[in-house]
Amino acid sequence: MKEIKIALVGQPNVGKSHLINSISGATLHVGNFSGVTVEKKEVEFERNGYNLKLIDLPGTYSLHPYTPEEKVTKDFLLNEEYDLILNVIDSNQIEKNLIFSFQVADLNKPMVIAFNMYDEYSRGGGEIDTDKFFKLINIMAQNVSAKEKFGLEELFNKVIKTYEGKNTPRVYYSEIIEEEIENVKEKIKEVKFDKRFTAIRLLEEDEDIYKLVHEKPWYIDLVSQLQESKKVIRNEYDNDDVKEIFFEERLALSKGIVTQIAKKAKKETLSEKIDKILIHPILGLPIFLFVMWAIFQLTFDVGAIPANYIGAGFSAFGEWVGGLLPNGLVKESLVNGVIPAVGAVVMFLPNILILFLGINLLEQTGYMARAAYVMDGVLKKFGLQGRAFIPLVSGFGCSVPAYMAARTLKNPKDRLITMLVIGFMSCGARLPIYILLVSAFFAPAIQGDVMFAIYIGGALTGLIVAKILRVVLFKGEPEPFVMELPKYRFPRLKAILFDLWVKTKMFLKKAGTFIAISAFTIWFLSSFPRENIVKEYSVKIEQVKSVDKKAALEEEMNQKILENSYIAHIGKAIEPIFRPLDLGWREDVSLLAGLAAKETVVSTMAVLYGAGNADETSKSLIEKIRNAMPFTAAVAMIIIVMFYSPCVAAMSTFYAEVPQMVWKIFYTIYPNVFAYIAAFIAVSLIKIFS
Amino acid sequence: MKLNELKIGESGIIKKIYAKEPLKSKLLSMGFARGEKVKVLKHTLAKNTFDVDINGVNVALREEEAKEIKVERKNNERN
Repeated sequence: MKEIKIALVGQPNVGKSHLINSISGATLHVGNFSGVTVEKKEVEFERNGYNLKLIDLPGTYSLHPYTPEEKVTKDFLLNEEYDLILNVIDSNQIEKNLIFSFQVADLNKPMVIAFNMYDEYSRGGGEIDTDKFFKLINIMAQNVSAKEKFGLEELFNKVIKTYEGKNTPRVYYSEIIEEEIENVKEKIKEVKFDKRFTAIRLLEEDEDIYKLVHEKPWYIDLVSQLQESKKVIRNEYDNDDVKEIFFEERLALSKGIVTQIAKKAKKETLSEKIDKILIHPILGLPIFLFVMWAIFQLTFDVGAIPANYIGAGFSAFGEWVGGLLPNGLVKESLVNGVIPAVGAVVMFLPNILILFLGINLLEQTGYMARAAYVMDGVLKKFGLQGRAFIPLVSGFGCSVPAYMAARTLKNPKDRLITMLVIGFMSCGARLPIYILLVSAFFAPAIQGDVMFAIYIGGALTGLIVAKILRVVLFKGEPEPFVMELPKYRFPRLKAILFDLWVKTKMFLKKAGTFIAISAFTIWFLSSFPRENIVKEYSVKIEQVKSVDKKAALEEEMNQKILENSYIAHIGKAIEPIFRPLDLGWREDVSLLAGLAAKETVVSTMAVLYGAGNADETSKSLIEKIRNAMPFTAAVAMIIIVMFYSPCVAAMSTFYAEVPQMVWKIFYTIYPNVFAYIAAFIAVSLIKIFS
Repeated sequence: MKLNELKIGESGIIKKIYAKEPLKSKLLSMGFARGEKVKVLKHTLAKNTFDVDINGVNVALREEEAKEIKVERKNNERN
């Protein structure tokens, strides 16, 4: 069957992904665009003997890209193979949307336009004459509603017709500009793009195209014509900026066409009315904080319920596997290492899904943009952007979704600064460590205050570090904040559920691969070498009769294995480094284990202090560490946990999201240095004042 | 006058965009072009961030960006 490969483009908030979800009989694949972590959705379906393959490109305001996502779209349109461009437009904003359509039309590829949200538009009394539109600029168009599922089949018929007829757009600018386009076009010899397109982009000062022709032998000839043509245009329009002239040209064209083809709808006022309350100058901030608080309540309270079942499920699964496999290393590594560790991570899936559901709802209803508007003033003081609030707050739950939520930040610098401080927002997995240490070393009356201080202190430090990063490493102008506030809309359940399903699949895949491997590694390092110890103890164990004594000896053996394990060697090797902080090798090892997962800090301490399977509430462990650790060591440990590197799952997410090696290395080192120095200062201060 | 000098509810006609690239292209693609009407819908208490209507599109921008847009106030505008 013949395949038609279709690039799906449009400005943000035009309902592109909604349109994809509304196609019946379609299969969807989700992946990444090569080299970047921008999500790539592909939809395939059959119509009239063709296999239609839609590639959903990131929403783009312009072919002069501003954000990394917009660059992805431009690169795809310029460099990839495809048969046709399907441009989705919000009928309520035709004028603004068409400006982008004309830029795309310049590519001279077969193109079809979908006037989406036509249901809303026609209810307001609007009409669009697509036949006339076709006559004017030779682009077949269809009024559709992804929401009410009309017009879609007609749209695909037009796609096929356009493909079969190789029908390309005919968008012409005013005479003076067309003349200069012709003049420049004549100087262009062989080039991989359409010559007219190349001429237009050169006049518009598109660097990408400029680089392309720069090496050509006919470049010198071209460049003088280009200068000449630009001069003519500049003089004619009395404006030095040719890019702006082209923009105004397209806007004028767009307005002209709209008056000919469209009857305008009445202005929708609902959004304005809602905004009167939600982004009220005084009420806006408290309302926003309440919304966030509610989402976090749900995330932790409701998320904890299935989390417990998942935990129980994994331990049952571990036992079942243990019963199934013969004794040996495979069984031991699975039952003691991999399964509980993967379980400890998967337990967070409900929390993550609820958090994402909340964030998704905020995004889809259009409230997220308002939240950014409301928070922008506060975060600006710390060199951050309004939108940074969402990933930062998510960081209190788990750094993994927080790093992913940072994608909502369009600017790479803002995104990087935000991601570099997310780790300072104490994630849920660090809570048991704080509880253990605080209850061992602080008076019951002030324990609550200490916990609160830990969380607030971490967050404030994060904001201050963000400011420092902005001033020291990301010098220059603060990033501009210009953002469309889309209309409020009802969320679409199907799209949200699908999104959550995709998130779940990706999360489980990661848990099953990366986390499983790292858990295996930690288990191995803490269980070997042990041959001699096992030999010694197996004799002893055989000699004693009582079951209790056998168990006690076994416990002792495990303790010895751990103390002689590779990980203990590492702990003892690094002990001198941590000695200024009064930390012993057991704490060092626990902190190291915490790099695999913060959950393991408490359990490692328990094992190393020989407290058996103690958890954070265990009296014996609290007493043991109270006797073994000085107060300064406890403070040092709390501070280190607050600031040092998050777990490997979070780190690998960061590595996946940030392509530059420099920042990966910086991210790996600086939190640890910071944590060490902060802990050292705290310990020194305590010693001075006591 | 500049866009940030308009009061809530006031409209102006855009006269010039001072911003440099890439902000200029960004503003243009959001609809801030010469001759267009822009209306200030809201701003935050400290006038840090503005919410404006440009050609039926709701756009949030900071004071710094609003300063980059020269406007002429439209009188007797009510709607």
